[in-house]
Amino acid sequence: MITRQTSLSRNIVQFCRFLRQKGFGVTIDEESLSLQALQFINYNNTEVFRLALKATLCHNKSQLEEFDNLFHEYWKEINKAVDSKIKEEPKTKTTHQQQVSYKALKKWLHGNGNKEIEETATYSIQESLSKRDFSAVPEDEVDELMQTIKTIAKRLAAKTNRRYEFSAKTDMPDLRKTLRKNLRRGGELLDIIHRKPKRNRVKLVLLCDVSRSMELYSAFLIQFMYAFQQVYRRMETFVFSTSLKRITSLLKQKNFHEAMQQLSNENNGWSGGTRIGESLDAFVKEYGKKMIDAKTIVVILSDGWDTGNIELIKSSMGVIHAKSKKLIWLNPLAGFEDYKPHVSAMKAALPFIDVFAPVHNVESLKRLGKWL
Amino acid sequence: MPELKDIKRMLYEQGYITDDSVAMSVFLSLQLNKPLLIEGPAGVGKTEIAKVMANALRTDLIRLQCYEGLDATHALYEWNYQRQLLHLKMVEHNQQAVEEKEKTIFSDSFLMKRPLLQAITHDKKPVLLIDEIDRSDEEFESFLLEILSDWQITIPEIGTIKATHIPQVILTSNRTRELSEALRRRCLYLYIDYPDFEKEWMIVKNKVPSIDKKLAEQITGFMQQLRTIKLEKTPGIAETLDWAAALSALHIDHLDKNIIEQTLGVVLKDWRDTRQVQMSLSELMEKTGVHSKL
Repeated sequence: MITRQTSLSRNIVQFCRFLRQKGFGVTIDEESLSLQALQFINYNNTEVFRLALKATLCHNKSQLEEFDNLFHEYWKEINKAVDSKIKEEPKTKTTHQQQVSYKALKKWLHGNGNKEIEETATYSIQESLSKRDFSAVPEDEVDELMQTIKTIAKRLAAKTNRRYEFSAKTDMPDLRKTLRKNLRRGGELLDIIHRKPKRNRVKLVLLCDVSRSMELYSAFLIQFMYAFQQVYRRMETFVFSTSLKRITSLLKQKNFHEAMQQLSNENNGWSGGTRIGESLDAFVKEYGKKMIDAKTIVVILSDGWDTGNIELIKSSMGVIHAKSKKLIWLNPLAGFEDYKPHVSAMKAALPFIDVFAPVHNVESLKRLGKWL
Repeated sequence: MPELKDIKRMLYEQGYITDDSVAMSVFLSLQLNKPLLIEGPAGVGKTEIAKVMANALRTDLIRLQCYEGLDATHALYEWNYQRQLLHLKMVEHNQQAVEEKEKTIFSDSFLMKRPLLQAITHDKKPVLLIDEIDRSDEEFESFLLEILSDWQITIPEIGTIKATHIPQVILTSNRTRELSEALRRRCLYLYIDYPDFEKEWMIVKNKVPSIDKKLAEQITGFMQQLRTIKLEKTPGIAETLDWAAALSALHIDHLDKNIIEQTLGVVLKDWRDTRQVQMSLSELMEKTGVHSKL
């Protein structure tokens, strides 16, 4: 809009470039807006000038806080360089700065709360249980833990489909459609059309590793899956070790012990070796097409200890990642402080994972709700 | 169009004490015809800016209060179904064609205008306040984006309604949820924080003229100290003013421990906060320079 080339407007363009180098996102629109703003203010007054730029170029709180320093830094440089014909580009620590803002963005994308404070459930469970590793729970506390897991599963499910609650309360007639439909009969309301609140249509696919290395955890994880399946219907569950098995219908049974009994009778591969690649590949080939779409979140529970084909892991993970809404890998070992995903299977899978998180105690299960 | 100094004066005349950055944002938002997004803690006068602006421009304020689940029928328009039905009953025995009847009941007089439609069909450029936008869900936010860029609304039965005037839009947010970058980029951004001592003191004197000068100072000082404590719900300017008005009405001219204890409910709205402040009251008063007469 402004075509007049004054040194002032050039300075502003320069300044915007400077801001961008500092990892301060300024779009062309904002740039031209700040130029437009100049015609309304007395820009000889530095204070007024600064405020006007600040008002037009910032669009969140952290930028407001940063702005003043950057402004002074830049115009100080300008004043120093006023006689030089070619002004040097201001020195920047570009890469570092951008990384920081990228991190901030990522943090924001994943919900900007502090992980440690984040609470999913409002009830409290005993500290001792919630922080204890699943593998170290004594026999007599198992029941209590199961109860806790059930409650969390219920809460998570309720959170994901919050809008269900609504429909019971309001089976509201849709007056607009009703009137339209009955208008042909002169407005006598014979058919009443109802409407229901929209449901959240997120689907879950759970793949659980039940090989020997996972033995200590899988009992709890199956329990968790069972509890979850009871309250969240749009979910498919599979277990795998050397081969893949679909257990959705089993888990839908009312009695958990019966389900477990049946499960262990049927599945011979339990607590054996692991062939993650082959299992995932079987999943993709057999169920991939109809089960995974852009509304599906795929959760894999495994420690990544593998004796199978690494290439198959890469290819199948690639397919799942591309087709699903989100791919979450929960690893019980990741809860240990010095854990690094150095297992070759884990390394191969890592590039395709959207969320990689520990799941070794109740606390970490609670956090699961944040990613779903 | 008002100048920058006029804006400051107008805000002042309307009893809104502010600093230069607020005045500049309001001024540029008017001049550039851009929506103004105001963030900040509760009770610092975000909503007040819209009211003052409407007053200063001598125009109407149209307010849309956001909440979770707010949808187009509450923000845009709704047909008046009861009236439509009554009308149909009344003309039941007329030999009118169905099309004719249809045309009548889907006309302007059966349309209930909600804030957004009201704002764009208003006969004078209004101030549109979209309050607590962070409370609405993301779907509504993207719907709002569309309105804010096109300034037209399509009603299937009537057609597209174009804005007669582009309203002056103010959006407020308490930052309970991060707003989308797209929305931010459409707006000028302003953050209002709790005022400093000088500013708050001016506000108290301005809004509660009957107050004792010394008391105003003590109240402001106490509130400033109070905000340095970590509370469940930090009191805003609104609470300061309530407190000042209450104490002034009681003809009190200074603060002491008893008075504070008795009237703390005006300032703190959470029992944990109340308990915490009561425990550290002496310390707080010492910092403020209010000495107990006991």
